[in-house]
Amino acid sequence: MDEFSIGVLTNIGLISFLALSAYLLLIAGELSFGQQAFFGVGAYTAGMLTAIFGWPLPLAALGAMAGGAFAALLVGLPTLRLRGLYFAMATLAAAEMFRILFELLHFQRDIDGDLVGPDGTQGFRGIRWIFEQGIEPIQFLALVWALLAAAVAGFVLLERSRLGATLRAVGLDPELAASVGVPILRFKLGVVAAAGALAALGGALFAHHNTYIEPRNFDIMLGVHSLAYALIGGLGTALGPLLGVALDIGVLESTRFFHGYRMIVFGGLVAILLALRPRGLLDERIVHRIGEVFSRHGAARR
Amino acid sequence: MIADLVQNTLDGLALGSTYALLAVGFTLIFGVLRRVNLSYGPAIMAGCYAATWTHVHFGAGLIVLALIAIAGAVLAGAYVERLCFAPHRSTGAGPCAGSPVAAMVASFALWMQFEEAATLVLPRHLYAFPPLYSGGPLTVGPFFLRVEALVTLAAAIAICLLLGWLLWRTRFGLAVRAVIESPRAAELAGINVPSVFVRVFALASAIGGLAGYLVVASHGQITPMLGMWSTLKGMLAMMLGGLGSLPGAVLGGLVLGLIEAHSQWYLGPQTRDLIAYLLLFVLLALRPAGLWPARAQG
Amino acid sequence: MSRALLEVSNLVSAYGKIEALKGVSLAVEQGKITCLLGPNGAGKTTLMFSTAGILRPKAGSIRFAGEEIAGRAPHAIVEKGIALVPENRLVFPHMSVLENLQAGAYQRPDRDAIEGDIEKLFARFPRLKERGAQEAGTLSGGEQQMLSVARALMSRPKLLLMDEPSLGLAPLVVEEIFRIVTDLHRDGTTIFLVEQNAHMALRVAHHFYLMEQGKVTFSGDPGSIAEDEVIRRAYLGTAKA
Repeated sequence: MDEFSIGVLTNIGLISFLALSAYLLLIAGELSFGQQAFFGVGAYTAGMLTAIFGWPLPLAALGAMAGGAFAALLVGLPTLRLRGLYFAMATLAAAEMFRILFELLHFQRDIDGDLVGPDGTQGFRGIRWIFEQGIEPIQFLALVWALLAAAVAGFVLLERSRLGATLRAVGLDPELAASVGVPILRFKLGVVAAAGALAALGGALFAHHNTYIEPRNFDIMLGVHSLAYALIGGLGTALGPLLGVALDIGVLESTRFFHGYRMIVFGGLVAILLALRPRGLLDERIVHRIGEVFSRHGAARR
Repeated sequence: MIADLVQNTLDGLALGSTYALLAVGFTLIFGVLRRVNLSYGPAIMAGCYAATWTHVHFGAGLIVLALIAIAGAVLAGAYVERLCFAPHRSTGAGPCAGSPVAAMVASFALWMQFEEAATLVLPRHLYAFPPLYSGGPLTVGPFFLRVEALVTLAAAIAICLLLGWLLWRTRFGLAVRAVIESPRAAELAGINVPSVFVRVFALASAIGGLAGYLVVASHGQITPMLGMWSTLKGMLAMMLGGLGSLPGAVLGGLVLGLIEAHSQWYLGPQTRDLIAYLLLFVLLALRPAGLWPARAQG
Repeated sequence: MSRALLEVSNLVSAYGKIEALKGVSLAVEQGKITCLLGPNGAGKTTLMFSTAGILRPKAGSIRFAGEEIAGRAPHAIVEKGIALVPENRLVFPHMSVLENLQAGAYQRPDRDAIEGDIEKLFARFPRLKERGAQEAGTLSGGEQQMLSVARALMSRPKLLLMDEPSLGLAPLVVEEIFRIVTDLHRDGTTIFLVEQNAHMALRVAHHFYLMEQGKVTFSGDPGSIAEDEVIRRAYLGTAKA
């Protein structure tokens, strides 16, 4: 596979973590404009852990996830009782605060004669762990997608479990769920933390793939994009957000045909698509129907 | 010390009046259609870019440019309304009628369209725009009063008075207030609710277009960031003042301007934005209804 | 013989996939009071909404004075001369009583006559006149119901639809509401009334229908069937043992 395709596929994988993060909150009934902040927290945390403190990537990724979950709780706890647009605006404000904090973050250390570390708006160079370990791009691609597959598998298991059903119930009608004894607030905290950790994992991998990150990477555009991917791909399955990402980054960005008009085409497609299918391409109804087809097929074979 | 305080307050009020106008437009759309329009700023930018394009290729006077900016914003807004909000109506019976999230994400999609279109039509990152006033600031005692700021403040006051007259003294205004209170009851009273939606959208776009023009003409330059900036400021001011409340929008805009002016003076530009976001976050956590809450809607 | 002002034929209406009306047929005679009774969930409000244009029917027809109106927009239906007093009254809570009435007259072309109509309504509902400048949300339940009726009347409807006007009101107030219904009828308005309070409804109705699970199950005059039988079916439906 050529380098370009590897790059595109890797990008799709990385951004998918972010889209899944927004998706998790969406099915729990909450809208977040701010998941990109935790993506950034994961990126900066993992970057500093490997480039400055010499941690291996797996450990750094775990550290990043913990950081992401913690940051998410910092946002989620004060806003626990907020719903709908109020919660969304709070996440927006929080995400922009994080971005500005990244701009104010200066933490550089001398590593082998080079100044390494975040330098405010100048960004964070030298996150070279992947290259120092001699990991090939295709190997990294495999790693990203292996982790993504694990995340999707986790979602599939979740959807089949009672926890998952409760989650969707909370998302559709929280008052009803609360009235039958579901601890709504605890659920929400758990979802917020999990989504933060998931985004942070993506960010950690993103930082090491790019070797250079800057605060501008983690702006509102990224956040609203990931929300859009989740929504247009479809809210019926965890594959939906991936479809959304693949459509934008895979089809539109890589085909030179649309060069210069990519946003115009993508934007128009999204608006028209949503007018026809407000819950996305792979919405709950179609996923249910596909599921029925498979189970009927399976039953006929027995 | 006191001189700084007063000067910053004056600057803050000027800045705040722009934010107030942006917030009023945003709030009209939210209050009446109950939707967040992420293309609000970008439509304003489209109008201002149309004016810039005219200036670059033909040159035109201030009034003409203002009219083009407003008309451009209204046209762009109509495009947004048809594509993002008309298909996702919420007055319709049944639980599946209308999806606010889908409408909002669709409006974001159009935001991307506007930004790309702007860079295609005018590729440079920055363009000069004819300034509102070419002279220096007026000096009143130890204080500086920029003429552009006074014009903006006056325009904001005029718009608010006009809007107040429109809403409380005209038949159209009665219909708008009825739809704000209860679209269902308004339908039953014989009000053509979709038509109200369209007209309010146009009104909000026009107000936004004027606000955008004043910003661009006051600074003498325009960049594609105007779109995101206008939406953010409009949303921030609206939430500060109280979601869906028109007096709240004005108050929120002024408060935001004052906070920004003072923070920037004492703490620098980055901290200025940080403080504004922090204030909003804290406010939402403690008093989500805002500083001047809209009455609870049925 | 009076002709039917409103004719509903085989009407099918749904909320998404849930069919609430499964082929409803009935007629409302001009100049009479017609009642629609039935248990909760029978589809009575759905029928009102379908007639008022809020819900677009999937199949069937609604003819008003001979003209097909199914699927028209709500404001067009008000223009044709039908006004709905909705369940839960739906006044504009932060607008004054006077403004609520003005809203009801919104699409009337004869602006000059509106003042006169408001005076007439204030004469009919003196309590509303007392509270003319008050915010509608501060009125009592009974007063809000009167306001809702008055607002509907401001459009000078030929057919007045009323969805559960007695809901949540004290017995004395309910009596007053039904007195207003008979007064309106006497003044020539045709009334189509949905009610849970079968007892009161039967006292004023000239003709009534029973609805259960999306279909009309009975049509007749009060007295053609024992009242307690009607009440039983109106609240409980015809349970198949």
